[in-house]
Amino acid sequence: MEGALKLWAVIFVVGALNYVSRVSFIALFSRRTMPPLLARALRYVPAAMLTALVLPMVVDAGAAGEAWLTPKVIAAVIATVVAYWKLGTLWTLGVGMVALWTLQSLIT
Amino acid sequence: MRHLLASKDFRDGFVEMLPACVGLVPFGLVCGVGAAAAGANWLGSLGMSAIIFSGAAQIVAAQMVAAEAPFAIIVLTTTVLGLRLLMYSAAIAPYLKPLPDHWKRALAFMLSDQVFAAAIRRFHIDDDREAAGRHFLGSGLALWLTWQLACMAGFFAGNLIPSSWSLEFAVPLCFIALVAPLFRDAPSVLAALTAGIAVLALAHLPMKLNLIVAGIIGILVGTLADLAKERWKAR
Repeated sequence: MEGALKLWAVIFVVGALNYVSRVSFIALFSRRTMPPLLARALRYVPAAMLTALVLPMVVDAGAAGEAWLTPKVIAAVIATVVAYWKLGTLWTLGVGMVALWTLQSLIT
Repeated sequence: MRHLLASKDFRDGFVEMLPACVGLVPFGLVCGVGAAAAGANWLGSLGMSAIIFSGAAQIVAAQMVAAEAPFAIIVLTTTVLGLRLLMYSAAIAPYLKPLPDHWKRALAFMLSDQVFAAAIRRFHIDDDREAAGRHFLGSGLALWLTWQLACMAGFFAGNLIPSSWSLEFAVPLCFIALVAPLFRDAPSVLAALTAGIAVLALAHLPMKLNLIVAGIIGILVGTLADLAKERWKAR
């Protein structure tokens, strides 16, 4: 598919499917209850998908064999502890960024 | 409409969402940069933030378009990622039931991680569903508007930000803020662990297929662990 056309197809199809997820139980099938197995599986979507999304952004892909304990990995662990105690996005973001900057300046 | 925008509930929702909006600005900037890197023009970047309106889906779609992944794989990956919206939809549906249909459809469009958290908090404390609905609209609009501005700023001016600031690190941090509070029961921890190991072990797969494969493995392991836990308890 040609570049611009593909991008707009992605925008509309992904946008529409996201909206279907959003509107699903609110308006589309509001009279039905969710099948129990689906409800059970959906509970683990955020933990699995968001972790799969986060790790490649934190761990350098080509780092196998090299030092894997990079400033990003350490800062992410610190941010995870902050977030685990439910301190929210702002604290997680602030502590994580400051940790990264501090560790990077220590190395160079 | 003016009456609605002037209502206290709407304004409260708008103002209460602003701290979360500030936290998402760096993420939005990175999304704008990502759209530019994927070859989008400004209208394409705006289309992504305004229509998809999901940072996770936007960043993944931009990366996959840049990696020349096939259309079907892009749609599949972002849809599984968006399944958490289905969960939010089911969780909030009982509270929205008394509202008119056009309200339901409009509010659904604004359902996102942060707005969901704020709305469910409000529905728990306020029995006036219509007031809580106006509050939901206020917080949703605040987030939507901030998101458009942040993504546009990233698209036009993202390259002015020094790379030494490591702004891109704001993206994993925002997701860590969402996911780490979930690590409180064994099935969730197992789901995250297996998904995490799989996504790194499968990093060699083309077209970012590792993301969707790892996600599905994690969801399966979490579900099975949940079922096993229940059996164990029932004994």
